[in-house]
Amino acid sequence: MAKILLVEDNEMNRDMLSRRLQRRGHDVVVAPDGEQGVAMARAESPALVLMDMSLPGIDGWEATRLLKADAATRGTPVIALTAHAMAGDREKCLAAGCDDFDTKPVDFERLLGKIQALLARPAAS
Amino acid sequence: MAKVRITKAQLAAEVASLRRSRQRAATRAERLAQQLTGATAGRRQAEAALAEALERQTATAAILRAISRSPTDIRPVLETIVEHAGRVCGASDAIVFLLEGDGLVRAAHRGPVPITERDLSLPIGRDIPSGVAVLECRTVHVEDIQATSEFPRGREIAERQGFRTSVSVPLAREGAALGALLIRRAEVRPFTPEQIALLETFADQAVIAIENVRLFNELRDRTGELQRSVEQLTALGEVGQAVSSSLELETVLTTIVARAVQLSGLDGGSIHEYDDEAQEFTLRASLNTDVGVEERRATRLRRGEGAVGRTAVTLQPVQVADITVEGAYESRHRETLLQAGVRALLAVPILREGRLIGSLIVSRNGPGEFPPETVQLLTTFAAQSALAIQNARLFQQLEVANRHKSAFLASMSHELRTPLNAIIGYSEMLQEEATDLGQQGMVPDLGKINTAGKYLLELINTILDLSKIEAGKMELYLERFPVATLVEEIGALIQPLADRRGNSFVTWCAPEAGEMRADQTKVRQVLFNLLSNACKFTEGGIVSLAVRPEEAPEPRAPWMVFEVTDTGIGMTEEQVGRLFQEFSQAEASTARRYGGTGLGLALSRRLCRMMVGEVAVRSKPGRGSTFAARLPVEAEDHSAAGTGVD
Repeated sequence: MAKILLVEDNEMNRDMLSRRLQRRGHDVVVAPDGEQGVAMARAESPALVLMDMSLPGIDGWEATRLLKADAATRGTPVIALTAHAMAGDREKCLAAGCDDFDTKPVDFERLLGKIQALLARPAAS
Repeated sequence: MAKVRITKAQLAAEVASLRRSRQRAATRAERLAQQLTGATAGRRQAEAALAEALERQTATAAILRAISRSPTDIRPVLETIVEHAGRVCGASDAIVFLLEGDGLVRAAHRGPVPITERDLSLPIGRDIPSGVAVLECRTVHVEDIQATSEFPRGREIAERQGFRTSVSVPLAREGAALGALLIRRAEVRPFTPEQIALLETFADQAVIAIENVRLFNELRDRTGELQRSVEQLTALGEVGQAVSSSLELETVLTTIVARAVQLSGLDGGSIHEYDDEAQEFTLRASLNTDVGVEERRATRLRRGEGAVGRTAVTLQPVQVADITVEGAYESRHRETLLQAGVRALLAVPILREGRLIGSLIVSRNGPGEFPPETVQLLTTFAAQSALAIQNARLFQQLEVANRHKSAFLASMSHELRTPLNAIIGYSEMLQEEATDLGQQGMVPDLGKINTAGKYLLELINTILDLSKIEAGKMELYLERFPVATLVEEIGALIQPLADRRGNSFVTWCAPEAGEMRADQTKVRQVLFNLLSNACKFTEGGIVSLAVRPEEAPEPRAPWMVFEVTDTGIGMTEEQVGRLFQEFSQAEASTARRYGGTGLGLALSRRLCRMMVGEVAVRSKPGRGSTFAARLPVEAEDHSAAGTGVD
């Protein structure tokens, strides 16, 4: 399957989500904050990034903007994960360049569906 | 008003009596004329009597004219009286004195005898004839002032002014004299009883004229007072309205200052709020016309400083009749006020339950004390200000408390959600792993952990939504979407819930429903809430969702009606009444039996109201319930509609 970068600061969420993705056959790399997330995206060239938005230091929005500004990572789809119903989150995420958006706690099947959809998309877009 | 009617009646009676006496005089003159017809002397006498009668008649008519022409001013009437009295009675001159305090003040004078400056006002006493006339309320005829020792001061005056004979008639009203009508002759020549009687008639007319004017002025004053009272009431009403309708403190206080200044006819005013801890005043409102506002705002008056500061010490109204007087007004605002031309100040404490919370101050550009009415009026306005300030303070506290509550809820929700994510996620994962490892026995228990976690999460999300709506932080994301698609999607979500209790689930969407513009997520949330409730309280029955457009009463745009019907346990009227209250279910035992917090309906209604819609309910115990959510087909952005703390 595909290599997925999970950027998430909460250790339990990071562990749980990465294990579940691995159970479904994905290769998962993780980063605990925005700065390392951007570095990992450059170093590992994942097929997709799951980006938590409220991160310490460089937050998810900023990290996404950096990824989308860099020619090397611009093509990598980013799914934003945010806390429930923060006003305007969806719009803010899309404005930052995220390709899709989901709320935490994730409905795992739904998230898998979104991942599949983005991975099936031609990489050039 | 009653008094005026009496006066008019008196006047009429007087006119009638004058007419009668005129007739009598005419008759007498006629009789005299008849008696003396033929005799030259007799004729002359008759002619004289006739002339006299005519002259009296003319005088009376002139006086009556003066009375009717001058209802508010006594002077023209008195002038007319002295003019005619002197001539008709054959005197050198005539004077009207009016009693003012302990003195007789000359009010009108006609004739060649001069009145020396010092005698324009005479101390009343029995040593002058007019003094006796006023004090004893009787006519005093002095045939020769130099021949009697009865009036020593009168004698001096007579000598000074040069007259000998006089008659003083009191201007009597209800047994007391208002003054005296005096006629004098330079030579010693007593007045005839007819002349004296005539003079008394003139005096009566003067009294009527004086009374008339007095009553007229009294009436005018009363009317004015009434007018002022009405104005005051209107202003107080306006202020009261401002106090209760506006929590914008400065607006209310500015209204109060403006009305207070306007009603008391003053030049400026302001309201200062008192800070108990700092012991100083802050300027809160002042008139546009007020000068030096910025300087005064910057310099906060301290307790005891100036008129405002002194109200903090006395808790009573404080007046400064003239701030230019050295030592009368000690304040850092003094220079500013002096430059602005302010002379007099009146400050009234604004008290709330005996404690000072501010001060209302008005200023006048002329020196002098403020009348008690103004002080009273200002005290009333101060009471209104107290209410306004108190309201504003309470509102501020409420706002702070509300913000704390919202912040608390938001952070609590966040803190609770993070571990819940782990509980829900791990239990789900473990269910899959247990299946993979052939440990099916653990799956139901892991499922219970998962369900409990999801229930808690739903509860937290609902609380957070409610607190967001209350804090006005919930926003609408309006989009256009096909209603049938929404119904289909909701149906798919609800079907498993309906199945769980053996309910059949039916959806129907009117073909003409088409599209609507709304916040789709919130519409979904509302429908999910209503439908999951219906499934929860129905067993082996029918749950349905019917959607159709409906004309709304003018001027509203058409509704989209979402009707959720069940054949479940239903509710009594009383239960329906409590339904939308937060944390309320129809019965406490219901919560234990069916689960749920009762927050769902409260939230659904709030969400509908945000979209300018409503949720209505019909229900019968044992027969089921119908919840109808009505939402505008075309929602407008009214995010503020959800802001109310209702």
